[in-house]
Amino acid sequence: MRRLKARDEHALSELYDALAPWVLGMAYRILHDEDEAEEVVGDVFVKVWRHVHRHDPRRGPLVPWVLSIARNRALDGVRRRRRWWRKAERWGQAQAAGDEIENPAPHEAAVPGWPLHREVHAALATLPHDLRRVVMLAYFEGLSHSQIARRLQQPLGTVKTRLRAAHQKLTDRLEHLKDWLE
Amino acid sequence: MIDWLGMAVPPRMPRPELKGRVLARALARRRRWPLALAAAFVVAVGGGAWWAYSTIGALETERARLATRVAALEDTVSSFIRDPATRLIQVPVSTGGRVGSVTIFADSARHRWLVRCDGLAPNAKDQAYQLWFITDKGTQAAAVMAMDRDQPMVMVLELPQSGERVLGAAMSIEPRAGSASPSGPMVFHLEL
Repeated sequence: MRRLKARDEHALSELYDALAPWVLGMAYRILHDEDEAEEVVGDVFVKVWRHVHRHDPRRGPLVPWVLSIARNRALDGVRRRRRWWRKAERWGQAQAAGDEIENPAPHEAAVPGWPLHREVHAALATLPHDLRRVVMLAYFEGLSHSQIARRLQQPLGTVKTRLRAAHQKLTDRLEHLKDWLE
Repeated sequence: MIDWLGMAVPPRMPRPELKGRVLARALARRRRWPLALAAAFVVAVGGGAWWAYSTIGALETERARLATRVAALEDTVSSFIRDPATRLIQVPVSTGGRVGSVTIFADSARHRWLVRCDGLAPNAKDQAYQLWFITDKGTQAAAVMAMDRDQPMVMVLELPQSGERVLGAAMSIEPRAGSASPSGPMVFHLEL
């Protein structure tokens, strides 16, 4: 972080090596389109490089900050794309297959940050199905509470309660996480 | 804490060429110059428009002033030339080895002269031509004309109002500020 703030270009290169696979993975998970996911990767690292001084370490580590940028960019792309009917069809197919968390491919175990991934993945996997479903819809599809309620045909209050419970459980499980980049 | 969820998704290895593209994009200096150029262009166009507007306004005022003056001069010259009370006197002169002339339209009704000098040699830097009225009470300064350029000169002179009778005119070369009485070389001397 210090090196990034000092405008060390090598630090940006190293950050890319460490985080690009995760940013691309998440962007692809949200967008289901390789080209658009790569666009998000570009946007994310441009924004990180230009606005790294805005990141306050007291409010959280670097990796979640970068991931939040990536998620927002990807969700922006989804919102734009929802008006595009041809993509919508593809989106529907991807959703039908994508409610469950994908298992990591073995060859990807060499990617930096893999232990962290395992921990987060495990934390998510321990959630009951109903809780995990609302978290996935909120986080990876950017749906609001009422949209989730409509999608799952559940009362709004139930959705809120499940999200709150899921957040609590995830916070308990992930509280100890620290960036491997610090 | 929820932002860690991004790590729940399996990573995807980016294509190798993506890194170069992304880093080049991130490290590219933000090109502010097109914006600055556009701003400078707007300022230049605005400034130019303002300058043109104010210049055209000033020129129009000047043109109106000159047109009024020309009309007045035309009127004056016309009255000098056509008035039956005007007497035309032409005096050949020689200055600085060249021949010229002084033409006087003497308007006895309005007591004024229109004097035109042609072909007078330009004055030295510290000298000027001085025109004199010769009256029954002596010589009286009429006008000082510093000629720095070789071009005709026209002027209107009011005759003395203090009752003297103008008997003639003379021109001499005097110091640039003029003299109280003729002291330099005489250019012409004329009796009416």
